[in-house]
Amino acid sequence: MITPDMDDSLAGPFWRAAANNELRITWCEHCDRAVWYPRADCPQCHGELHWRALSGEATLLSWSEVLGPINPDHAPPYITGLVCPVEAPEVRLVTRIVDCEAAQLQCDMPVRVCFRTLQAGDDQAFIAPAFSL
Amino acid sequence: MPQQSLQTLARRAQVPDWGQSLPLEDTRGEVAITGIGETAVSGPSGRHPKGMALEAVAAAIADAGLRPEQVDGLMVAAGVADQLSPEDFHEHFGTSQPLWFSTGGGAMVWAATCAHTAALAMRRKEARHIVNVFSVDWASRRAAGTGTPGDWHASEIMKAHFELPFGWYPQPVYFATFARRYMHDYGLTAEQLAALPMTFRRHANTHPAAIMHERELTLERYLTRTPLADPLRMEDCCLISDGAAAWVMSPAEEARDMPHAPITVEGIGHGRVHGAPYISQQRVITSTPQPFSAPWAYAMADTSPSEIDVIAVYDCFSSTALMQIEGLGFCREGEGGEFIQQDRLYYQRHRRLGGIPCNTHGGLLSHSYLLGISHVVELVKQLRGDAVNQVESARLAAYAGFTADEASTLILKRGN
Repeated sequence: MITPDMDDSLAGPFWRAAANNELRITWCEHCDRAVWYPRADCPQCHGELHWRALSGEATLLSWSEVLGPINPDHAPPYITGLVCPVEAPEVRLVTRIVDCEAAQLQCDMPVRVCFRTLQAGDDQAFIAPAFSL
Repeated sequence: MPQQSLQTLARRAQVPDWGQSLPLEDTRGEVAITGIGETAVSGPSGRHPKGMALEAVAAAIADAGLRPEQVDGLMVAAGVADQLSPEDFHEHFGTSQPLWFSTGGGAMVWAATCAHTAALAMRRKEARHIVNVFSVDWASRRAAGTGTPGDWHASEIMKAHFELPFGWYPQPVYFATFARRYMHDYGLTAEQLAALPMTFRRHANTHPAAIMHERELTLERYLTRTPLADPLRMEDCCLISDGAAAWVMSPAEEARDMPHAPITVEGIGHGRVHGAPYISQQRVITSTPQPFSAPWAYAMADTSPSEIDVIAVYDCFSSTALMQIEGLGFCREGEGGEFIQQDRLYYQRHRRLGGIPCNTHGGLLSHSYLLGISHVVELVKQLRGDAVNQVESARLAAYAGFTADEASTLILKRGN
C-alpha cells in the first residue's frame, strides 16, 4: 500500500495539509530551523516540532525522468526529483515535477508547488504536493 | 610503523563536514585473507542461498588449506534473507567446535569492515580462522516475484511516507537523480559515463565466469538505449544475480605457513553521511560517502592512492562507481568524467601508465550482483597473481564499499 496514511502520527499532518492544498513541514521554533524528515523532537534542542506552512516556492535540486518499467506502482513516463523550499534550502522534498517536458528542466531553476492527485497502482488516489515551472 | 591511536588516525584522516568517519582502531597488518571461494554466478537458478553459501565456504576453507573443524568464526550479513547460521555450518560439515558468530559480515560496506570486526575478535582470542560469506538469490526471487533489491528501501518508514508516494523509488531513480546533478555541476556527458560500463564489460568479456562474458557493449549500442531513469540506461545499472562467495581471515602471523601468499589487511575505513539513512537529505548528492571512509583507511595503512595498483569499487550504478573512484582519491570530485577516459580503468593500464585498473572481473555491472564480495575476492586473486585479467605486479589493492548512506574502504597488500 503506497497511499499515504493520513492518520500516521508523524506523517499524517503532511498529507492532511496536502489534501487542503497546503505544503507543511516540521519546524523547531526554538532553533528556528526546519527538521526534515519529521521526528519525535528536535535533534538539537529536543524541543517540540511544529508543522509550519511554506510558501511553495522552491528550487529544483535535481530530477530524473523515469522512462522504463522499473517501478511497479508508477507507470512511466514521469518526472520525480528533489526540490529545496526557499524558506529551508537545506531541506529536500521528494516530489513530482509536472506540466513540463524534461528538456525544459535545469538544476537550480525556481519551481512552485501545485497540488495533484497521484495514484500508486490500484491503491486509493491521494492529493500530493507536486511542483511545476 | 607503531600502532596509531584513534586521535592520530582522526587527525590524519581529514574529511568534509557533511558526514563522519567512524573511529576504527588501528588493526594494520593483523589479519590476512588466507582462502577464497566462489560459486558460479548466474541469473535465476533456483539455487537456495544457504546451499550456495556452503559451496563457497567449503571452497574457501579448502583454498586456505584448512579443515572445516579448524574454522572457529563465521561472519554473515544482517538483513538479507537466508544467510548461513552456525547450525547450518555444523550440520553441513559434520562439525561441533565452538563457532564465534557475527552478523557484521557479508558484502556492501561490510565486505571491508568485517576485517576490522574479525581483527578485534582475533585480538580477544575469540577466533583464529574466521569465514566471511555472502549469498544472494535475487535473480531467482525477482523471477518468482518473491523479492527485489528494493525491498529494504520500500519498508523503511520515512521513505514509505515521503518518497514512495511520488515514485522516487527504486534505487535507479535515486542514483539517476544524483547523476543528473553531477552532469549539471561538472559537465559529465553520456559518452564519458559510458567509459565505465564499457570498460567493465571488456573485463567481463575476457573473464569466463562473468555473467556478461559473451555480450559485447559498443558506444553506439549504449547511446541508442532508452534510459530507464534518465540519465541511467540499462547498462549503467547492476545485474540481478544468484551466487555466493566467501573468504577465510586468519591471524597474519599464521598466514605465512598457509598455502597462498598472505594477503594482509592494511587499512580499513567506514564513513556515513549526516542524516543517514535518508540520502534524499544528503547535503552533497554529487558524491558517495567514500570521502568519509578512504582517508581513514589510507591513514591506517600509511599509504595513498598513488601507491595502489588495482581497485574494485561498488558499482551498483555507473555514476556511483565514478563517484567512488573520486572518493578514493584518484582524482578530485568532478574530474572523474575526464579521468576515466582513454582506457584508464582497463586492467592493462597499470598505475605507472597513468591508469588505475578497476573492477577487473566486470563488477556489479557485468560480472554479477553479489554486492561487492566478489570484488574483494577478485582483489585477492590480483594480489596473488592469479587473476584472469591480471594487473602486472599488483602489490597493493583497494576496495570501495557502499550502501547508499555509508561507504567503506579496504586496503589489501601482498605479503611475502
